[in-house]
Amino acid sequence: MFIYYIRLALLSYRRNPVLSSLMVLAVAIGIGAYMVIFTLNYFMGGDPIPHKSKQLFHVQLDYGDPAFADFDPPPQLTYIDATALLDLTSAYPRTASSKFVGVVEPQNREIRPFSVNGRGNFSDFFTMFDIPFQYGSGWDRSADENRQQVIVLSSELNNQLFGGANSVGETVHLHGFNFTVVGVMDSWSPVPKFYDVNNGPFDPIEEAYIPWHLIISLRMDRSGNTNCWAAPEGDGFQAFLNAECAWIQFWVELRDNAAHEDYLTLINNYAAEQKSFGRLQQPVDKRLFDVNEWLIEQEVVPDETRILSALAAMLLAVCLLNTVGLLLSKFLGKAPEIGVRQALGAHKGSLFIQHVIEAGVIGAVGGVLGLGVAALGLEGIKVLLGDLMVSDWMHLNVTVVVITIALAIVCTVIAGLYPIWRACTINPAIHLKMQ
Amino acid sequence: MLKMTHIRKVFHTDLVETHALRDISLDVAEGEFITITGPSGCGKTTFLNIAGLLETWTDGQYLLDGEDVAKLGDYQRAKLRNQKIGFIFQSFNLMPDLNLFDNVDVPLRYRGMKAAERRDRIDRALDSVGLLSRKKHLPSQLSGGQQQRVAIARALVGEPRFLLADEPTGNLDSNTAEGVMELLQTINAAGTTIIMVTHDPSLASRSARNIHFLDGRIADPDHLNTAAQLHIAS
Amino acid sequence: MEFGPILRALSRNKLGVILIALQIAFTMTVIVNAVFIINQRGELMQRPSGLDEASLFHLRSIGFGQNFNEETSVADDLSRLRQTPGIVDATVINALPVSDSGSSSGFTLDPGNLESVVPSAIYYADHRSLNTMGLELIAGVDFEVSDVLVRESSSNTNADSVIITQALAEQLFPDGWQSAVGQSIYTPSQQAIRIIGIVRRLQAPWPQWSDIENSAIFPEIVIDGSSLYLIRTEPGEQDRLMPAVEEMLAASNPQRILRQMRTMAETREESYRIDSVMTRILTVVIATLVFITAMGIVGLAVFSINRRRKQIGTRRALGATRGAILRYFLLENVMISSMGVVFGAVLTIGFNMFLVQTFNMPRIDWYYTPAGMLALILVGLLAVIGPSRAAARITPALATRSV
Repeated sequence: MFIYYIRLALLSYRRNPVLSSLMVLAVAIGIGAYMVIFTLNYFMGGDPIPHKSKQLFHVQLDYGDPAFADFDPPPQLTYIDATALLDLTSAYPRTASSKFVGVVEPQNREIRPFSVNGRGNFSDFFTMFDIPFQYGSGWDRSADENRQQVIVLSSELNNQLFGGANSVGETVHLHGFNFTVVGVMDSWSPVPKFYDVNNGPFDPIEEAYIPWHLIISLRMDRSGNTNCWAAPEGDGFQAFLNAECAWIQFWVELRDNAAHEDYLTLINNYAAEQKSFGRLQQPVDKRLFDVNEWLIEQEVVPDETRILSALAAMLLAVCLLNTVGLLLSKFLGKAPEIGVRQALGAHKGSLFIQHVIEAGVIGAVGGVLGLGVAALGLEGIKVLLGDLMVSDWMHLNVTVVVITIALAIVCTVIAGLYPIWRACTINPAIHLKMQ
Repeated sequence: MLKMTHIRKVFHTDLVETHALRDISLDVAEGEFITITGPSGCGKTTFLNIAGLLETWTDGQYLLDGEDVAKLGDYQRAKLRNQKIGFIFQSFNLMPDLNLFDNVDVPLRYRGMKAAERRDRIDRALDSVGLLSRKKHLPSQLSGGQQQRVAIARALVGEPRFLLADEPTGNLDSNTAEGVMELLQTINAAGTTIIMVTHDPSLASRSARNIHFLDGRIADPDHLNTAAQLHIAS
Repeated sequence: MEFGPILRALSRNKLGVILIALQIAFTMTVIVNAVFIINQRGELMQRPSGLDEASLFHLRSIGFGQNFNEETSVADDLSRLRQTPGIVDATVINALPVSDSGSSSGFTLDPGNLESVVPSAIYYADHRSLNTMGLELIAGVDFEVSDVLVRESSSNTNADSVIITQALAEQLFPDGWQSAVGQSIYTPSQQAIRIIGIVRRLQAPWPQWSDIENSAIFPEIVIDGSSLYLIRTEPGEQDRLMPAVEEMLAASNPQRILRQMRTMAETREESYRIDSVMTRILTVVIATLVFITAMGIVGLAVFSINRRRKQIGTRRALGATRGAILRYFLLENVMISSMGVVFGAVLTIGFNMFLVQTFNMPRIDWYYTPAGMLALILVGLLAVIGPSRAAARITPALATRSV
């Protein structure tokens, strides 16, 4: 019987090709456009590290000066606080991290020197964020303490410098110093780049990673955001380090509630102590944010995407209203046929199923076409964005494909419910007599 | 009133030519009640359409009130229909979404009459068919005979001098049909010229003049019986 | 006209009317708000930066190796650049307007009073910066060579003179910006700085910043590992000079990398790319919606006319001219659209209020809503004109046909 109804649906499509195609087009465009925005939101607002996002916490302290009325506390830490938190406890994996830029002078003289984006971080950075390695691994905690000149390369940089070979043990000349390669990362591109959202949440990852203390001791050229709310006292680098200038991201891994509570007590006490010294006068509501809380707090999903979500929902609504109207026309136009079928013994239930399937077929065809619309839309957005952000993730995955087709069918059937009901409750007598 | 000379109507399709009317010449005087009979496909409806300016014809001359209507454009024909001709259809052709008042109002709207005069005329027309009390009802709430009476009210409301009826009783039972026929005779008695197409020989016999159509021609009264037999034989 | 009968006939088919009206209302909501966003972004993109952008390009030099001396390299590079035929002038600067990255601080007349600090973008550039950027000096004097301070990035002591924008002067001296020249203002670290000149306009680097017109230029060269050169060329010389300059600088000192060579036009395009992407997406959304809605109206009109063929024939038989039939359907459409746009106006304003509250967007100007209402009625009319003309061509002879 199901096959019979599918055949009826296709016959009905063929009898009213223009009207049916119009419906399919409306469903395709509505669903397609919605899926483009859904995909953007799915990734931009998605969880970049789902298995650990509840255990990784960003630390926020009470920054700002009461004199500045509308001063949002900068989402980073000062040097003083970062080093204090590092000394506070080493019981939990934690990392400070900061960006730098540096010039790499390849040993191979045929490659001209070039500049790379780098990051100073602690050994725990690699394990906390589950960074995959192609060769070697991150450094160990002793390398942090001893300020060893070790380096982890992204796979792109390793390709560039060593042709993709296992370069562990090789030397990289960066910023005028020699670093020993201890690891090469496998391809890794969290979207959003949750561990540093204030320096471009959709930027590519850094190419070189070195122990964080070296940023200070080797005077690397820091890059990324620096936010001060008081002028440094005195001149020179030490004055800058001591100043109320935030430029360090700080993450800690707390595996359970007890750890969370313990750590929160520690930083609460630290904040209270600093407050008594005259610092940290501007209280914050919350000092520990897990990954998803942090992404929301930092409004990582751009306003544009959120505005487009609302517009896409309305576009879908228009397309569905369109479909309801056209389905209503189509089904009422079939009144004589329905009359005949009822006269020949079709009961309301079977007419209902017949028309639900007819609506579903239109939805399914629209959904498949909608996938094309969505793919085209995403491709278009990628082209328009160009190199503005990493956009490899902008593609339809299995989840999106399944959701698209299911949504199309469900929406069309729901849109068709009233027309179907009307079609099934037609009084057969009227139409039989009128003929 | 109406004078047709050698009217012919040929339909062209890709494959064949159909001669709907072969050669019709007819003179209708003011105040006549003419019935037209004939088998299906003999050209009755085509004749009625041409007489009512609903259709054009292939050649021949048609004078309505002495005016050669062949030269009129679509716009003038519409105006003429609106002012001089009333129509009654077999299936009533009421607008299902409009109530009786609005249905009878339709021809007056196209005449551009003032609202007060329209209301007055519509009420009188509905009263004359005995349905004034139901003017807010929809056609679907009426019986077939009542619907046809509304259609007659609609045909009369513009006070046409010429009424064309296409099997007005075809969809009605005999009692109701009798009522409609009486109404038409009253109208005719008041001076309106009527041409009525019908299947029913008993109705045809009640008119002063009956014209029988056969294969696109007016059958010669002398050959009427032969033709009828031929028709039965085929 | 036949308002009454059409309205009563429509009321017999409420759902069909509501469906089209709702569709028009949503379409109008999206279109009006989208057009408003597009216009707004367009206005943002059209604000002048104050620079002679068409003849400017820039590149960054990053030195490496132990022997690299940034200070002498900068002096050497600038003198080479300024002697190159076709180059009007060149300067070394810490950041560029429109580029989306730079440095900000603030000034006050009341040293130590942080609450009174007026925020400002801070540019550090040498004494040729005004001429290079093409800024218009409207009061005071330009920098002299002797004003220029060369300092390490870790030093917090600024040069003691500054040129500021008119907008910043207006905020610091509400009684009259002209009086600002010669006055002392204070940095947050309470250093006194003398205003020596005022330029008409120089945008801050961040297009989204609320104080975008507040900028100050210090006559300073900051030694921080990399130098950004801004170069102004004679008209039409840019394409030729860009590769030539890169080659010349590379040859003059191999202990460095040259990157980010771009024209100001390219930098502007990149900074406003999100806005232009948004504009294009919204344009596609508008076009799609108009198309879908128009198609929906056409589809329903064709259908409803087909259903009413006999009625139309009857009307023709009763004396309706073709024009009257055309008018009937156009009027019916206008009546449905009108209901749609009235509801659409409410939705439009409601949605705008949501955008205002959630995204701090400005309110739509009053004329957007009536313009949108008119536009949607027009779209409806255009969509229905084809089917209505087809309806007007229906032969009156249809009235006597039995099916």
